Amino acid sequence: MQSDSIFFLLALITIVSSIVMISAHRPIDSALSFIVTLVSIAALFALVNATFLFVVQIIIYAGAILSLILFIIMFLNIKDENLPDERYKNYWLLGTSLIVAPFSFILIDLILRSNIALKAQISEEFGTIKDVGLTLFDKWILPFELVSILLLVALIGAVILSKKEA
Amino acid sequence: MLEKYMILSIILFSIGIVGLISRRNIIVIYMSIELLLNAVNLSLIAISADTADASAQVVSMLIIAITASEAALFMALFVVLFRNKASLDVNLFDILGNKR
Amino acid sequence: MSDSTLLSTLLLSPLISAALIFFINMLFLNPRQSLFTFLALTGSGVSAVLALIVSYQSYFHAQVFTSHLFTWLSIGEFTIELALKADALGSFMLLFVAPVSFLIHLYASGYMDKDKSYGRFFTYFNLFIFFMFLLVLADNPIIMFIGWEGVGLVSYALIGFYFEDIQNTYAGNKAFIVNRVGDFGFLSALMLLFIEAGSAGFSFDSIFLSLAQIDPSMLSLIAFLLFVGAMGKSAQIPLFVWLPDAMAGPTPVSALIHAATMVTAGVYMVARFAPLYTMTPDISLFIAYVGAFSALFAAIVATRQYDIKKILAYSTMSQLGFMFMALGVGAYSTALFHMFTHAFFKGLLFMAAGYIIVAFHHKQDIRELQGIRKSLPLLFVMMFTASLSISAIPPLSAFFSKDAIMGALYASGHVELFLMALVASLLTAYYMFRMVFVLFYSQKTQSTKKSSKSMLYPMVVLTVLSVFAGLLNLPELFGGNLNISNWLNLLDKELLLPHAKELLLISVNTLLILGVILYTYKRYAYTQAIHKESQENLVAKKFYVDEIYTLLITQPLHYLSIFFEQKISHGIIDRLINLSALYYARAGILFSYLENGNVRFYALYMLIGVVSGFVYLYWALRGVL
Repeated sequence: MQSDSIFFLLALITIVSSIVMISAHRPIDSALSFIVTLVSIAALFALVNATFLFVVQIIIYAGAILSLILFIIMFLNIKDENLPDERYKNYWLLGTSLIVAPFSFILIDLILRSNIALKAQISEEFGTIKDVGLTLFDKWILPFELVSILLLVALIGAVILSKKEA
Repeated sequence: MLEKYMILSIILFSIGIVGLISRRNIIVIYMSIELLLNAVNLSLIAISADTADASAQVVSMLIIAITASEAALFMALFVVLFRNKASLDVNLFDILGNKR
Repeated sequence: MSDSTLLSTLLLSPLISAALIFFINMLFLNPRQSLFTFLALTGSGVSAVLALIVSYQSYFHAQVFTSHLFTWLSIGEFTIELALKADALGSFMLLFVAPVSFLIHLYASGYMDKDKSYGRFFTYFNLFIFFMFLLVLADNPIIMFIGWEGVGLVSYALIGFYFEDIQNTYAGNKAFIVNRVGDFGFLSALMLLFIEAGSAGFSFDSIFLSLAQIDPSMLSLIAFLLFVGAMGKSAQIPLFVWLPDAMAGPTPVSALIHAATMVTAGVYMVARFAPLYTMTPDISLFIAYVGAFSALFAAIVATRQYDIKKILAYSTMSQLGFMFMALGVGAYSTALFHMFTHAFFKGLLFMAAGYIIVAFHHKQDIRELQGIRKSLPLLFVMMFTASLSISAIPPLSAFFSKDAIMGALYASGHVELFLMALVASLLTAYYMFRMVFVLFYSQKTQSTKKSSKSMLYPMVVLTVLSVFAGLLNLPELFGGNLNISNWLNLLDKELLLPHAKELLLISVNTLLILGVILYTYKRYAYTQAIHKESQENLVAKKFYVDEIYTLLITQPLHYLSIFFEQKISHGIIDRLINLSALYYARAGILFSYLENGNVRFYALYMLIGVVSGFVYLYWALRGVL
């Protein structure tokens, strides 16, 4: 019961902060509320014993990526006149929500109707670095190497994109 | 537990889509995309916990790695867009369409 | 060599030589002219020899040659075979078509000497013989029609042979279009025949067997439509206008196609369908009248022509009229016999004309060619002989054939036809000797040094033939027994006159013709009468037939097409298309608001699509879930 109430609390925080994230006018507000979202998602990870992913989420997302965003926002010195003119932002948000609503509704309905949970017994080791690491280097070694190449490509791409003269 | 996580994941995903389509600010769009990926990660972790198998966690981790590379590219894009147009408006990125 | 191979070789050798000449002409830059000559003469020579063998066997042993090449069409029960059959009629046609073709090939090799399109010329020429053989040897009307169209096509190509001059191309077009009208008749007749009699096979024999079951009025319609085809091909009123213009082609073409062979295809076709025409006496009589009017009309027009080839063209039309008269009264073999002799003397006359034209720098006007007897004595002899022959002076070949026609006309009881034929025959003597006397009997003299042996030899052969060919079908009156008529064994009507009457007819006829020749001599020999003729009267203007056709057919069509082009095509159709194009442009602008290049809009469209798909699937699978 305890974990249930924690889940609902975290879910509420996640949803509210993400709604704030997409509707805030200034990017800095969005970024700050997005940090809240990410941290509460990390907490949700921890709730199901995925301790390693919890750490990764906190370090990479909340730590690295979001601070990079904040850094960029501040580095660019964005003023209000640099922001896009989003006069009809609320109508857009409302309209798109109406379009997406049936999609969400159908998916939720399907999830509720189907009985997909296995409820397998979780071992003591689950979610630890050892467990994840063994799986990664055992079954997923090729994707892992490919991701390393992807990171390299992205690195070079970022450098080339942001060079002063193209 | 799995169903709750899935429903939360769907809700987050929908919010991400709404943000992705409705907003013109490229930074918010980027964060919406991150939200989509996080929603997927959430469901993956839930599945992993439900099946007691670490593979889904590994996939989730790979997604995070891809997110990181995406982040690097997006940061470069922000810089370029802002330098060239002095604005964060994605509507300025429309050379794909017909110029009138 | 078996019979069927022999016949196939006869048919295919000109085709093969045509193909060879064509490829050599296409592939090599400067092929030797002698190579073309060799190929062309071999192609036509082989078939000429084989044709003589075929007709020899047919005449003396009554042998029928057949050859089945392949099955062209096979639809259920119905098949069209590409089969050849040389019965008596076919062999008879071969007997003069093939050798005359060979002789004119020989002549053409001299006439076309050093022409830059030598190879092209002989490709057409050999192709022409191929189609002519196909027409003659066909075992069913469909194959005959292929040959019929083929000779028309080659004729078109050869009339416009010197296509650098646009007038020649127009002449070719005219021939082709006028022939189309005739072919329409032929084709319609074939379709009707197919509907009415095609069920039991479509070869000539099976058609003739089932003729009796056809409704008489339908039979008349078929016969009439077939004759429309013959009208076009054989230049009879009213579809004759192309023949004089067809003289634009090289002279060997005029000799071979527009005098000796192709134009006689109509006569041959009517004779081939003789069983049909004996059952439709009305149409036969119509044919006779058309022939009579054509003969008379052409003879009258020829008296005021000055172009040596046009005179001969009208003369050809007139002689074809004689043949149709004979066909019309049922004297099929007589008509064919006249065709036979006509091929020789008309071929000869055209060759002589071509010889003169080459010798005197392509002048064709007889007024400019006066006084050429001294320089071309042999030619004078030959042309004089041919003119005597065409005027039916005994004992030259056309005397027998034409007199047989006159006799048949008289015996048939249609006196008006006989009189028209007589007048036409007298006019024939008049215009032929007008030409001869103007050309050869004059105070003026012109000289030339040009001469070509290869042109002269075939003419000598044809002279001999046009003198003696008549003996082949000697009537009883002169101790003969109508060999050719017996050989052909067509459904001739019995048109016999008492000998005394026949003799009287012949004598009167001959005397009249001699009188006309004498009158012509008085009038044209050593005088300037030819220069004093009026250019403005009805005859000199060819009865304004071309102008009337222009006014009645060409002009209305022209205005109609202008109307359609400007009002219907531009005014309505184009405007409609432009209107829809305009709306496409408008719609394009509308859609370009959607396709604005902004990726998040594309994401929106995609989302709408995905959501619609989801909703649809959810609704469609509501029972299952």
